[in-house]
Amino acid sequence: MYLYVYDESVQDRKNERELSLIETRLTDLGIAGKIARLALFRDATELIRDEVRRGVTTVVAVGNDQTLRKVLDAVQDPQIVVAIIPLGGNNDIAAMLGVPQGVAACDTLSARLVEEMDAGSVNGMRFLHIATAENVQPSCVCEGKYAVQPVRPSTIEIRNLAQSAEFGTADPTDGKLEFVMKTPRRRWFVRKTDAVTVIPFTHILMKSQKPMTMFVDGEAVEGTEFDVKVLPRQMRVVTGKERKYA
Amino acid sequence: MTKHSGEETIIAHGVRVEGDFVSQGNVIIEGDVQGTIQTAGDLRIGDEAKITADVTAANATVSGEIRGNIQVSGKLELLPSSKIIGDITADVLSIGAGAQINGKITMDGRPVKKEIAV
Repeated sequence: MYLYVYDESVQDRKNERELSLIETRLTDLGIAGKIARLALFRDATELIRDEVRRGVTTVVAVGNDQTLRKVLDAVQDPQIVVAIIPLGGNNDIAAMLGVPQGVAACDTLSARLVEEMDAGSVNGMRFLHIATAENVQPSCVCEGKYAVQPVRPSTIEIRNLAQSAEFGTADPTDGKLEFVMKTPRRRWFVRKTDAVTVIPFTHILMKSQKPMTMFVDGEAVEGTEFDVKVLPRQMRVVTGKERKYA
Repeated sequence: MTKHSGEETIIAHGVRVEGDFVSQGNVIIEGDVQGTIQTAGDLRIGDEAKITADVTAANATVSGEIRGNIQVSGKLELLPSSKIIGDITADVLSIGAGAQINGKITMDGRPVKKEIAV
């Protein structure tokens, strides 16, 4: 049983035609289901959890990265399959998962190539994509064995499923997260470049003397201590053949 | 910078590591490390790196400074800018002109003895 979660942003008039095509294609493929429309004061988590309790087995986010994040927050049961039909901009995760835009995504959904993926966790908040913090200088204890600290404020990225020209795509099925720290080099009269540290890990405890903000899949978390770990095979996600990771 | 892949760990210049560093993959170190370094893969110590640690690796290339014992099961390559203060154990050893070694060298499980022709 499918539940389609329409984000507020896709309920505009400009998406009316595309949504209609999507609904027709889903009916043709025999995978039409219940539709839940998100709105400003409607709690997405409660709405989705209620439907899961009523027997929904696949929850499909129709929208962008933020819609998928709302769905993943709500779906805590690893047996429930999560998917996305990307519509509009800000759809980096769908691209990495190999899911095409708009109506073409219906066929990917129908093919049902389901992959068990790791989730990242920052102080208990799960994420699929990335957690970032800028201009910070925390002490990071990795695997309880060694501490890593930059000598000057740096940018930190915790990558689960993320793509970059320098590092390729982090694999969300390898049972590890990737700690990437960009420390500015001090060089006179030369364009500043970053020295980049990369550590694959399963657990890091970050402690900062000053309060710092981490953005976990775009959502701000403030504090001085961040417990970051991988939750192996926590999510079942529909992917396409063109997915970007190994 | 080359494209990062899989299990590779990079400790950049401007980063300090303290404790028992353990890895299953290849490791590149350009920063400062105090404690121990242990990897099942290959290790590269850059010329800006300062290591105060005992080091264990499958193969290693060193162009920075290591204060500690080095144990390499395969090939250890000491580049001209390298400085080692500690004992070395390796199967194959390559030393560039200008590299400094202050310590005992043991190869193939046997200590290297000074032989005097009579």
